[in-house]
Amino acid sequence: MHKAIFVLLLAVACASHAAGGRVFVSNERDDTVSVIDAATNKVIATVPVGKRPRGVGVSPDGSEVYVAVSGDNAIAVVDPEKLEVVRTFDSGDDPEAFAVHPNGNIYISNEEDAKASVYNPRNGEKIAEIEVGIEPEGVAISPDGSRVIVTSESTNMLHIIAVPEHEIVANIVVGARPRAATFSADGKIAYATSEISGEVKKVDVATGTILGRMPLADDKAKPKDVLLSRDGKRLFVAGGRANSIFVLDADTLEVLDTIGVGKRVWGLALSRDGKRLYTTDGVDHQVSVIDTESDDVVATVPVGKFPWGVAIDD
Amino acid sequence: MSPSPARSFPASLHVCLAALCLVLLSASSSSAALETRQVRIGFIGASNGDAMRGASQGIEEANAQGRFLGWQYELVPLADAAAARAADVAVIVADAGPDALRAIASAVAPAAVINVSAADDTLRAACLPNLLHTLPSAAMRDDAEAQWRHKHADSRATARAWHESFRKYAAAQLNRRYETRHGLPMSDVAWAAWAAVKLVSNTIATHGEAAPAKVHDMIRGDIAFDGQKGADMNFRDTGQLRQPLLLVDGDTIVGEAPVRGVADPGDLDTLGLAACAR
Repeated sequence: MHKAIFVLLLAVACASHAAGGRVFVSNERDDTVSVIDAATNKVIATVPVGKRPRGVGVSPDGSEVYVAVSGDNAIAVVDPEKLEVVRTFDSGDDPEAFAVHPNGNIYISNEEDAKASVYNPRNGEKIAEIEVGIEPEGVAISPDGSRVIVTSESTNMLHIIAVPEHEIVANIVVGARPRAATFSADGKIAYATSEISGEVKKVDVATGTILGRMPLADDKAKPKDVLLSRDGKRLFVAGGRANSIFVLDADTLEVLDTIGVGKRVWGLALSRDGKRLYTTDGVDHQVSVIDTESDDVVATVPVGKFPWGVAIDD
Repeated sequence: MSPSPARSFPASLHVCLAALCLVLLSASSSSAALETRQVRIGFIGASNGDAMRGASQGIEEANAQGRFLGWQYELVPLADAAAARAADVAVIVADAGPDALRAIASAVAPAAVINVSAADDTLRAACLPNLLHTLPSAAMRDDAEAQWRHKHADSRATARAWHESFRKYAAAQLNRRYETRHGLPMSDVAWAAWAAVKLVSNTIATHGEAAPAKVHDMIRGDIAFDGQKGADMNFRDTGQLRQPLLLVDGDTIVGEAPVRGVADPGDLDTLGLAACAR
């Protein structure tokens, strides 16, 4: 009985979340986060967060938004209701990208220290530190939370880290300057972009085997962020200087579509229902909103200077 | 009563044996997971120069990668071509003049020799089968400067392989690592020597092989080396590493070559001799 009421409440809560949602965008050169109402595609607030904000993430319950404030060596915690920074905590040197674990902890790459660190954002305590390769960058967490990938850009590797042991269980060599990675829904497959070799690699997480490779034909492409569609069938790759999003078949890696967006696209976020893809177009100081059924840009939203990271709280 | 030497000796031996067993056990368990293979990289040149410093930086970074994959790299100083011929090394990094480079290459073939300090154009035009060059040639620098002057007629900028104030494309990170370790700014030659070691270690990491002739084949193949200059680099058939150059005026980086608007920035073959004469 109690359980039934709880489930009902949860369903109501989830439904109300899904109805709207806000898109949080870090503006690297403005020291702010732009908040976009996903229902109207209008900026409803601009929140000062600290120097050189980059990575953005939302807590599993949607009650907090985290922003890596690289210039302040800190994570700023934004209250999504009040739309202000409620606290900050030290995050080690030059935090850039991070990912939020289903248990609420955050996994950060510390570029200068060749380390990944794990923080409890509720009290700012560092839980663990893992030595990785040179210039760690992208962080991805498997949906079940049992594995974390950290890419090391100058070591050309995906480090597979077991949770909760926080030990590296595999190291997979990929193309030059691996920038970002993402897991399949079952956690068995990972996809990684390599900026300098201009390619996407598909790897078997358990064995470290490279299952596929797709060079992006546009030689200006410096692929950055990467995400899977909710049904797991399509892979979205931010093309950097190619000023477009490449849509790949997640199985064969064949390029299915190319969606033109603004200049220097690097960050990506997908709505919970999978119908909207948000991209940060750095040099055009805008966010593009893509309808993933038609693969059309349905809105461009001017934000602050050099938008970098993006996350949605729906 | 003091313990007799006869009694204490076996006791300490016992401790030593136990410790040795522990070491052996831990060694065998880790080697079961990951066998460590040694890669010796030969170095010919001044023992206290930029080439040696750059190569050492490369070795440190090669080991930062190799420790995750079971490769351990070591720089082996060699006196000359004869020493190189006798040495068991995977590849040779050479900081030497044109004549010495030819002699070394001929002595160690089919192993590769990577020239990191001679800009001599005739060495590239000679198209020796196993002599490679990570330092840009004089002709590459001339072409970069000419492209730049096409847009900026009065500029006195000179073309460089690297500069200590370079920040883009994670150049800042490499400059910081080098300066922290050596207390000196990274020069062109230091960059070329770092690049030589790093492209070898990346290729070994990718292919999992380190025999000398194989290393030569692999690095001349379809590599996409990240020299932290924003481009993917590989070797021309002349043995020259394709790469963008920096235009430096005084102590300021004013541009990059190929120069946008004059040449295709993606066409690195607009700099220097693009291919061997047929």
